[in-house]
Amino acid sequence: MIVVVGVSHRTAPLPVRESLAFPRESLADALVRMKAEAGALEAMILSTCNRVELYVREDEAAGAGTLEGFLCRYHRRDALTLQPHLYRLSDTDAIRHAFRVAASLESMVIGEPQILGQVKDAYQAAEEAGTLGASLNALRNRSLAAAKRVRTQTGIGRNAVSVSYVAVELARKIFGELKDKNVLLVGAGKMSELAAKHLVRSGGRATVLGGRTFEKAAELAAALGGKAAPFEALRDELARTDIVISGTGAPGIVIQEADVEIARAGRRGRHARPLFLIDIAVPRDIDPAVGKLGGVFLYDLDDLKAVAEANLRGRLKEAAAAEALVDREVREFLGWQKAREAVPLLTELRRRAEDIRRAELDKAKKRLGPLTPEQEAALEAATTAIVNKLLHPPTVHLKEAARESDAPEQLSLIRKLLGL
Amino acid sequence: MSSHVYLVLTLIFYAVGALHVVLQALTRRRLLTNWTVAATLVGFALHTAALAQRWTEAGHFPAVGLHDGASLLAWTVMLVFLVIQTYSKTPLEALGLAVYPLAFALVLIANLTPAVPVGDPVLRGLFLPIHTTLAFFGYAALFVAFAVGVMYLIQERELKSRAPRTFYHLIPSLERCDTLSARAVEVGFALLTLAIITGLLWSHAVHGRYWTSSPKEWSAVLAWVLYVVLILVRQRTGWGGRRAALLGIAAFAAVAFTFVWMNISTASVVARTP
Repeated sequence: MIVVVGVSHRTAPLPVRESLAFPRESLADALVRMKAEAGALEAMILSTCNRVELYVREDEAAGAGTLEGFLCRYHRRDALTLQPHLYRLSDTDAIRHAFRVAASLESMVIGEPQILGQVKDAYQAAEEAGTLGASLNALRNRSLAAAKRVRTQTGIGRNAVSVSYVAVELARKIFGELKDKNVLLVGAGKMSELAAKHLVRSGGRATVLGGRTFEKAAELAAALGGKAAPFEALRDELARTDIVISGTGAPGIVIQEADVEIARAGRRGRHARPLFLIDIAVPRDIDPAVGKLGGVFLYDLDDLKAVAEANLRGRLKEAAAAEALVDREVREFLGWQKAREAVPLLTELRRRAEDIRRAELDKAKKRLGPLTPEQEAALEAATTAIVNKLLHPPTVHLKEAARESDAPEQLSLIRKLLGL
Repeated sequence: MSSHVYLVLTLIFYAVGALHVVLQALTRRRLLTNWTVAATLVGFALHTAALAQRWTEAGHFPAVGLHDGASLLAWTVMLVFLVIQTYSKTPLEALGLAVYPLAFALVLIANLTPAVPVGDPVLRGLFLPIHTTLAFFGYAALFVAFAVGVMYLIQERELKSRAPRTFYHLIPSLERCDTLSARAVEVGFALLTLAIITGLLWSHAVHGRYWTSSPKEWSAVLAWVLYVVLILVRQRTGWGGRRAALLGIAAFAAVAFTFVWMNISTASVVARTP
């Protein structure tokens, strides 16, 4: 039986989750200890910033609370204070949970892409530590495959849902490749820094315009691997750049319509190339009239937020389709698992039949005396055919019966009937 | 089986493809699913069979009259679409939104119009297959340029409105639309030029004159001139984007007129000859 015990962003605040996290370096050691202490047959630990979960396959006999006990002991936490944050799921619920986590349906931001890699790493670590067995491995293969299908077949992870990612996505929509695109930062705020970092990581080249404090601009430029320029160079830089991120604390307009018009007139040869302006300052830095110029795209903070919200609504709508897909995959997995329970019974049945066939065949041969090879082959074929034909219907039925909910009772009845 | 049976089957498979692509677009999913691709490939194979059958039935390259012209153009456009999907680094699924309905409409027209009777000696010889193959692949490339140009304008409008919605994730980036449209115009223009030259030579061989001053000749030359302007201006000034898309659309209107006029008029001309 598979059991999962853990905390997540739904049940525990960040400090609690942090205190229970398993760092990558000590994961192997923790896995081995957990498997031994909890008396588990297989073990896996998923530790991300939003959840810490212990997955085990344990004997039906193992008592409840052993996993919780391990978690408390390992992190030297008091069981009583931890108890309200912990959840415990077993069997079907645990399997469903594992599928949902991998498919990002349990994530804080539904559809976020990191979780798939984190789950993959967690199984990988368990495999390396030698605590992964057939059951958890099957769960790994099926849940990761289902998660990939969710990503490709539904739109759950499609569009950016944070302001800085929306800015990057829009830039991609306009320019395609961001490699070697010039990014101009006006003002050095937290948010513009974040958006610029994404752009630079995609291959953009940053220039930071300094305001009253040039040092700050130079510092940020160094961090972004770009260059700094004084604010007076605004028009020259505008003529060169593809993307502008403006986030100064200035009380009024910093980039006038005329600035952009003149800069674009000076862009000989690349006149028609688009210009993407992102105004994340409040109050706004860029004259809204700029957005009406040809080939110019101007987004302010509210616009970006609106896009992010629309994208999130789109994701939630897609989540329904993802839920249905995961449900289907879980049902399939459970059916497959049950069918596997019938396998030992089937092999036993086959072996038993084969033993009887051999014994009777030998008896018959003794009575018949020496036979030609043809006669022997015919006897062999005839007896094998009888056994196969007799066993075919029960084999099919057993495999089917194993998928039913009352499989255990049915299987034991069949065992009795066949005297196995 | 006669070419008609093949053509009806083709229509059914293209209808499935077209319907599926539109439905996928409305639900904002991926445009081309495995089902669509399968339906397309089966449809295309049937279409190829229909054309081959029609070729033997007609006794000449099946490109004369509305029935044959529409069918062959649909085939060419589909082939170009499939080649782009296969060989392009980033597949251009959104193009399906233009290609599938067009292929469906053209095959529908082909199904509804009678095949022209055979018999004109003008149609024998090599001029017909060479001239029409060049022209039709040129039309297909220019259609791609046109469709991508329209996508550019839609995408630009959505981005400019600051509330990107329906087509936001279907259409590739503006830059890619722009470069792809430019590339398609170059290819299409080269083919169109060769088609016009072979057309003039053919005319000379048949009528003894290069220029017969028919509307289709005028519109073909008009389209040619517009594309020259588009290509030169793009190269010289780095002009592109919105204005290039608009000019490309205008030039394609002339191309479309040339195609329609040619196939309607040849249909009547050939039908009149006993």
